[in-house]
Amino acid sequence: MASKFGMAGGIPERRVRPVWDAIDSRQFKNALKLSTALLSKYPNSSYALALKALILERMGKTEEALSVCINAKDLLYKNDAFLIDDLTLSTLQIVFQRLDHLDMATSCYEYACGKFSNNLELMMGLFNCYVREYSFVKQQQIAIKMYKIAGEERFLLWAVCSIQLQVLCGNGGEKLLQLAEGLLKKHIASHSLHEPEALSVYISLLEQQAKYGDATEILSGNLGSLIMIEVDKLRIQGRLLARAGDFNAAADIFQKVLKLCPDDWECFHHYLGCLLEDDCSLPSFANSSSVQVSTSTDCQHRHLTDDMFDCRISKASEFLENLMTEVGNDSIRGPGLAKLEIERRKLMYGRGNAEELMGDIILYFSRFGHLASFTADVEVFLQILPTDMKKQLLEKLVKIIDSSSAPSRNVLGQHITFFKIRELIGDTFSLPVKDLVGFAVQMTEMYCQNLPLSKDLDVQESMYGEELLSMTCNVLVQLFWRTKHVGYLLEAIMVLELGLTVRRYVWQYKILLLHLYSYWNALPLAYEWYKSLDVKNILLETVSHHIFPQMLTSSLLVDISDLLKGYLRFMDDHFRESADLTFLAYRHRNYSKVIEFVQFKERLQQSSQYLTAKIEGSILQLKRKAISIEEVEPVLESLNNGSDFLDISREIHSKRLTFNEDLKLRPWWTPSSDKNYLSGPYEDIPYNAREILDKAKQIEAKVISIEKRSLLPRMIYLSIKCASSSVKGNSGVNGFDSKDFSELKSLLELYAKSLGFSFLDAVELVVSVSHGQKSFEVFSSNLIDWMNFAVFLNAWNLNFHETNSSDRRTFPINWQVLCCLLERCISETINSTKPLLSSPGTDLSILIQLVTEPLSWLGLVIRSCVRSSLPSGKKKKKGGPPDQSNSQLCIAVKDSITSLFSMIEKVTKWLKEQIDKPVDADVDFLISSLHREENDDGPGKVVKVLETLVLSIDDLEVGERVNRAIRSWKPVDVVRKITTAQGTALTEFFAICELKMKVLQELKRQT
Amino acid sequence: MVCIRKATIDDLLAMQACNLFCLPENYQMKYYFYHILSWPQLLYVAEDYGGKIVGYVLAKMEEETTECHGHITSLAVLRTHRKLGLATKLMVAAQNAMEQVFGAEYVSLHVRKSNRAAFNLYTETLGYKIHDMEAKYYADGEDAYDMRKQLKGKPQPQQQHHHHHHHGGGCCSGEAKAE
Repeated sequence: MASKFGMAGGIPERRVRPVWDAIDSRQFKNALKLSTALLSKYPNSSYALALKALILERMGKTEEALSVCINAKDLLYKNDAFLIDDLTLSTLQIVFQRLDHLDMATSCYEYACGKFSNNLELMMGLFNCYVREYSFVKQQQIAIKMYKIAGEERFLLWAVCSIQLQVLCGNGGEKLLQLAEGLLKKHIASHSLHEPEALSVYISLLEQQAKYGDATEILSGNLGSLIMIEVDKLRIQGRLLARAGDFNAAADIFQKVLKLCPDDWECFHHYLGCLLEDDCSLPSFANSSSVQVSTSTDCQHRHLTDDMFDCRISKASEFLENLMTEVGNDSIRGPGLAKLEIERRKLMYGRGNAEELMGDIILYFSRFGHLASFTADVEVFLQILPTDMKKQLLEKLVKIIDSSSAPSRNVLGQHITFFKIRELIGDTFSLPVKDLVGFAVQMTEMYCQNLPLSKDLDVQESMYGEELLSMTCNVLVQLFWRTKHVGYLLEAIMVLELGLTVRRYVWQYKILLLHLYSYWNALPLAYEWYKSLDVKNILLETVSHHIFPQMLTSSLLVDISDLLKGYLRFMDDHFRESADLTFLAYRHRNYSKVIEFVQFKERLQQSSQYLTAKIEGSILQLKRKAISIEEVEPVLESLNNGSDFLDISREIHSKRLTFNEDLKLRPWWTPSSDKNYLSGPYEDIPYNAREILDKAKQIEAKVISIEKRSLLPRMIYLSIKCASSSVKGNSGVNGFDSKDFSELKSLLELYAKSLGFSFLDAVELVVSVSHGQKSFEVFSSNLIDWMNFAVFLNAWNLNFHETNSSDRRTFPINWQVLCCLLERCISETINSTKPLLSSPGTDLSILIQLVTEPLSWLGLVIRSCVRSSLPSGKKKKKGGPPDQSNSQLCIAVKDSITSLFSMIEKVTKWLKEQIDKPVDADVDFLISSLHREENDDGPGKVVKVLETLVLSIDDLEVGERVNRAIRSWKPVDVVRKITTAQGTALTEFFAICELKMKVLQELKRQT
Repeated sequence: MVCIRKATIDDLLAMQACNLFCLPENYQMKYYFYHILSWPQLLYVAEDYGGKIVGYVLAKMEEETTECHGHITSLAVLRTHRKLGLATKLMVAAQNAMEQVFGAEYVSLHVRKSNRAAFNLYTETLGYKIHDMEAKYYADGEDAYDMRKQLKGKPQPQQQHHHHHHHGGGCCSGEAKAE
């Protein structure tokens, strides 16, 4: 900013420039040389030192950079008077910030401001420092100081913003808002206001205090002219009036807005809401940006008598009629939809007529039925129709389409709309299989026939009728669910694969496919399609849920590790940079955006996915290193021995987690990552009616799961320590003491609690399953958690005799009980795991997790014992033979190694059998699942349509590119891809097991 | 039925999704933030019935030149919501704001030479004219038309003595005043 009088930090600018030029062109070595020369000339310049630090930081020499930077800072404090300038400070600030020492940068500015009071430039720098640290109170204080010195409106607004942030994002009480209001009032009295954003802040302050009347008054006064766009002003006015309860006046205002913007649904809802005094559609606070159209029927028109209701409704209808005549523009959907909405309200109030609503829907269809948005438009109106009328509606729509003389593109659009409505109404569940197959064939044929419409489109552009294939897939998946016939699933995949051969950009197909492939254990293929979605930036937060969960429990450890790293890098970069961006909003005087932006940052910071990724990322690292205790230890160390995550688990219940995943794009059969209908029996669920899952329950489950997983790293760490000190005479060697012992106990208690059990009950359950008194089913879906619990429990118990615990109970868990439990678990899991290809939905992930989690942790515990008992290296005993309890332990450990080895061997053997199956047989098996006999309802009919398309493609005018793509398409290629991908996933798993066996064999030899 | 309203920061989630589905260009999130934090008056979204974001326009004021003008950075409408005049509405909203809030004299934009639909929208519906052609403007090597549309503009707002600005171009910083 300030290179005053040609001087930069007390050095003539011409001398500094070459250094900056070298930095800018990334010639850091040269820059360093130049800066050394500069320093020899100006040894007491902290600016010259700061520059050096900057260069060192850029070269990656962070430690050296920090020490030079601290020297520069010290020098700054020593040098009196003239050498403190903003350039020096801002250079220091940049380096400190990059080195994650914001506090040091701040103290430099604080020092400077103390030294040169009333220097606005320095004070702005300090304000900026506080913005970076999110220190709202200090921001406020310095802004007020600046305001007092300069009297500028913007500084006052900075202070007001900082106050609002204290209330909204900090722990400031609401009383602070009064203070802010007072400050503004005083300023306005003497200086008025000059910026539109200042007025918005003022109004939002008043709204937050429910002073709607005051706000309205201000808006109608002189200051109101600051808002230059008329509709914006009217919208605020309407909102304020409605919130103040003056519904009549508010309705009038919204009416004015509608005259200016007749297509504005939000405004129409407010208008109707005010007329009917209906709290569901009244405008809410300014910061909540969108109004959700309520689909529920429990809206209350609380105060209205029937007469009043009729009167208001007819007022609305009348206004609407006039509006429609005035507008006359055919492309505006607003008035048409508004009419439907009025009918819906009447029905909800018990004074409507469903026939009439249906009539209006049909009218609306003949006007807009060809639009892709139609179904979404009428969804809430369809819901309120009685079931029989929904079916009638479908019949009537068919008639309209059949008699339509619209151009072919529009007819296609109407057909698609019809299919979508049929899907939405969900009556397909009650139809016979034959009808469903018919639908699928019909839609696929329509797709093929209409390909020529898209002949001239660019490859980037969506083609006509693309939705037909997604809907075909939906029907086929339903058929698979219903009949369990694998051929339908294969067909669903083929339809989408063909669609992507024709045009490879259709994200809907890719998402459907990635879920189908995940379900069918062809995860490498799912991952491939996911990658082709090119998910980046904020979409990493909203879209990753499609792939994260299944990858986390898979054998593709490297791929998921990459995915997690990419996601975490994006999030962390954003957190690092967002404070700088906040200052941008202050500088541009966009005060309301400052607040929104800080709130947005918090929303991301409290993301449940972010937290999960951090924890799972660390557990994943441990999994990958688990074959060697020496490699695990540094990982644990980098996690502060797991303690960091304990803090998370402690705070998680008080944190308001956010869920930013965009679940709307998920396929119907898996509305959230922990639900997949295909794994359960066939039942009647309405297609698009997304399950109204119990949100609160879901959130709680998520919180508990995060809490549980966050305990793992620490439990692993303590178990290793515990095992080591259980070797007699070794306790205390690794610093294990009774504190660690009781900590592990309390973590086990927490872990058991998260599984819904008390510690003692959990122990009892584990032991009785191990003895075969209870079946594994008691663990239900938490099998892996339970096995982890058992491993840590045994590790803890190893030390039980060592500790002077007052709790003198003995626990019936030991190596033998544990190994028996795990052996049974592995055998049962293998026995229940069906061949992947013929049994889609087989849950291979359980076996993978058993090997990569409990068995891995057990391996670590064993290794820890062995390492401590080996008479080698530093741990060499003072002499004498090992005492009896140690030799007992030794035998137990040896047995456990043998047992662990045999468990993994068993898995390996099973895997080998799967992998060695000849691929051709698999391919034949799948292809034969599409047997096609003319009068059979089974799968194969849709593929037949596709094959016909391939054969007859030269007769269709689809353009060279599409022609080539379709001709190259072969069903057998799809099948081969699936078998290969399954093989790859199995081979990865096999490699993991083999490595473990090798290491265990080594260990056997050592003991 | 659609509501054209100013974008909020939270909308960026949906806006970026929109971008992924509509355009091969895919901006860094920082770039969106840069726009919305600097010129929030110029970002509009089309929110459809049910609260779904189906389109947006991203625009800015040029700070580099002395001539005060706006620039349309990005315009997107979901395919499901084409042919409803949404793009026009979004553009008009942004242009009006440039004119009324910042007193912009003209507005510029770039369009792919091959993008006929967009080109027609800009020339025929919105009255843009080709100002120049920029060779290989896009990452994939395609040329762009540099297009402009004259706005009515308005007299430069009076500068208050205490409203210094550190980045010149006084018109472009949200401090236009109604006086």
